[in-house]
Amino acid sequence: MPLAETQEFLEKDPKKFGVGSEAVVSPDRIAEVARDYRKQNYFLECLTAVDFAECFEVVYHFNRWGASERTCVKILVPKDVNQAPSLASIYKSADWFEREIYDMFGIIFAGHPDLKRILLPESAEIFPLLKSFKGEPKGADVVQSLKLIEEDARGFGARLQGAGLEEAPTGDYYLNLGPQHPSTHGVLRVLLHLDGERVLSGEPIIGYSHRHHEKMMEIQNYLACWPNFGRMDYVGAMSYNFGYALLVEKAMGIRPSPRVEHIRVLTTELNRITSHLLWMGTFLLDLGAFTPFFYCFDDREQILDILEMATGERLTYDYFRFGGLDRDVPPELVPATKAFIPGFKKRLKDYHGLVTKNVIFEKRTRGLGVLTKDQALSYGVTGPALRACGVRADLRRDEPYSIYPALDFDIPTAKDGDVYSRYLVRMKEIEESLKIVSQILDKIPAGEIKTKTPKNVPRGEYYSAVEAARGVFSLYLVSDGSLNPYRLKARTPSFSNLSAIVEMLPGCLVSDVVAVLGSLDIVLPEIDR
Amino acid sequence: MTPGPSLQHDPKYLDTQSPAPGVANLFRVEDVLNLARAHSLWPLTFGLACCAIELMAGGASRFDLDRFGFGVFRPSPRQADLMIVAGTISRKMVPCIKTLYDQMPAPKYVIALGGCATAGGPFKYPGQYGILEGIDKIIPVNVYVPGCPPRPEALIAGILELQKQIKSGNAKGVMSPAAVDDAQDARPAEYKNAMSRAEHRKLLLTPPTPAPAAPTQG
Repeated sequence: MPLAETQEFLEKDPKKFGVGSEAVVSPDRIAEVARDYRKQNYFLECLTAVDFAECFEVVYHFNRWGASERTCVKILVPKDVNQAPSLASIYKSADWFEREIYDMFGIIFAGHPDLKRILLPESAEIFPLLKSFKGEPKGADVVQSLKLIEEDARGFGARLQGAGLEEAPTGDYYLNLGPQHPSTHGVLRVLLHLDGERVLSGEPIIGYSHRHHEKMMEIQNYLACWPNFGRMDYVGAMSYNFGYALLVEKAMGIRPSPRVEHIRVLTTELNRITSHLLWMGTFLLDLGAFTPFFYCFDDREQILDILEMATGERLTYDYFRFGGLDRDVPPELVPATKAFIPGFKKRLKDYHGLVTKNVIFEKRTRGLGVLTKDQALSYGVTGPALRACGVRADLRRDEPYSIYPALDFDIPTAKDGDVYSRYLVRMKEIEESLKIVSQILDKIPAGEIKTKTPKNVPRGEYYSAVEAARGVFSLYLVSDGSLNPYRLKARTPSFSNLSAIVEMLPGCLVSDVVAVLGSLDIVLPEIDR
Repeated sequence: MTPGPSLQHDPKYLDTQSPAPGVANLFRVEDVLNLARAHSLWPLTFGLACCAIELMAGGASRFDLDRFGFGVFRPSPRQADLMIVAGTISRKMVPCIKTLYDQMPAPKYVIALGGCATAGGPFKYPGQYGILEGIDKIIPVNVYVPGCPPRPEALIAGILELQKQIKSGNAKGVMSPAAVDDAQDARPAEYKNAMSRAEHRKLLLTPPTPAPAAPTQG
């Protein structure tokens, strides 16, 4: 169906709005539109809803690998109908997105295979992102926590969620991995259906780190939202700063000075290296290799020292500001970074010698947790996990922002889509980031680090996306022109990446589950938000 | 032979006076046990959010918790006697934390690491629906470490403080004094009402009137 013939159609300037066009279609035709996009190899990048007085707007963002061609399609769901068709049979990624919308807005998706709460506890009675939800009374946190403890004692939270318990082969059983498990990288729970040591299926259960970022950002002004982005993905917080800065700068129509752009890219790439180092250390720790953890943290601490010089923080950076930075970098930062690089390059060689060519490691990870290109498209997988399937997709090249077009770097890919490939891609990305850092160091121009900004974000709907350490991080903002966002949706990469794990787990051994989980490089508070 | 000064019940004695005067010294068994407990804390491998990364950094190279004898992280609560609550406590996670605490053998100690575990941290706002504002509302806490996140040095200071508490025989921990039925309504005014979509679109599609340019420093 040509979108131009729909109810409302708008051509938009992608440089300003992040999308090339926007269309409103009737709810009964959205499945047709989605099937069309699926055939043309678009993936469902983001799916969310906005609560208006007379109706809900369910907003779909489709995009494709390679040069970005993002389209926004909306359907209007009247409040009295409160029902929309599910796309879960067309895009697997819609499964979790729709559950999240149900959880937050109470919109029913007809035809969804298993519509239940995803972030809030099963027994929750609220739909928090509705505008009619005005917060809970003081003290409700204790009351509700005690209620949840009591429910848990009665076995409420432990209820098995596998449906086919009766007809499954004999000797099988269910095992909860998490939410407290040293190898789940936070508070993830995976409900494993096992036959002996062999995994029949695994279902991730999330929401144990839900920190109501999106509701919180609706009641605070734009400037006060910065700490939220430092804490969503605390391991690679600089990319999240970048995404939010780009979003608001696009909307306000301002551009930071070249000095700011250079420092932003420098700190983001250094942060990407620390993120990958942390991943490498913990991933190998999960596989039973203890020493790399200490090596990686040793290198990571040195980069944290450099970033601390610039930002004053070690972890949850709130360094960027609209059109600028919180503060300038000190003069000793450049020499310190230059001094760090040669030693780190030597260390990388050690890593390749000790781990990449390690026979035990290879045997353990090759051919494990394979993700095909088609599955990656269907689940909306992005980032290193996607590039490990052989897809050369990276927003720093595909939808160039900041000074990335002027920089010389490669996009590493691997072809097998298994755990080993994901390892290789990240290791090569560390080298590429280091390449970017070395290019910038000598070229940071002088200039202002703050720009005059308008007070308000103009009314409108804006979208921005950046390549974070784990994949595409994008933001969808509906602004009503006031001091705080009307709706700010954060599309986080690990959310979609983790949903694809149901395709990778069947057939694994229990000990391989942690290898597959580790290879995805998930950060739970980013998934649960 | 004079009796050892510990009979006068000086908790600092064991730590400060070494070697003690006298041929044989007498101590209360409890004091000796506390000394052993304080120097062999086994923390539970347990992380909730951002602070867990600093906890890991504390255990890794450079900060090296092992220097103080508390780097033996145990993945099972049944082998641990120190729970470091590192991160935001979402309500969905509360039953799991309570279960873990109950599974730890006594004597057991709790450190609330960071703002969230102490009192909700940056995620506390009037009317919040997702988190529990402070772990001390469900389990007793020995030491609070401020910061968002605290640096590993702050964690080390927190554990050293806990050691002091244990050695003084006074490591009971405290629950929050906040009453459970403190249910007065404290909703803020900033919650927005739903706006009309039709009006939003209308304003969006009409060309904006040139607003008086009043740029402010951002």
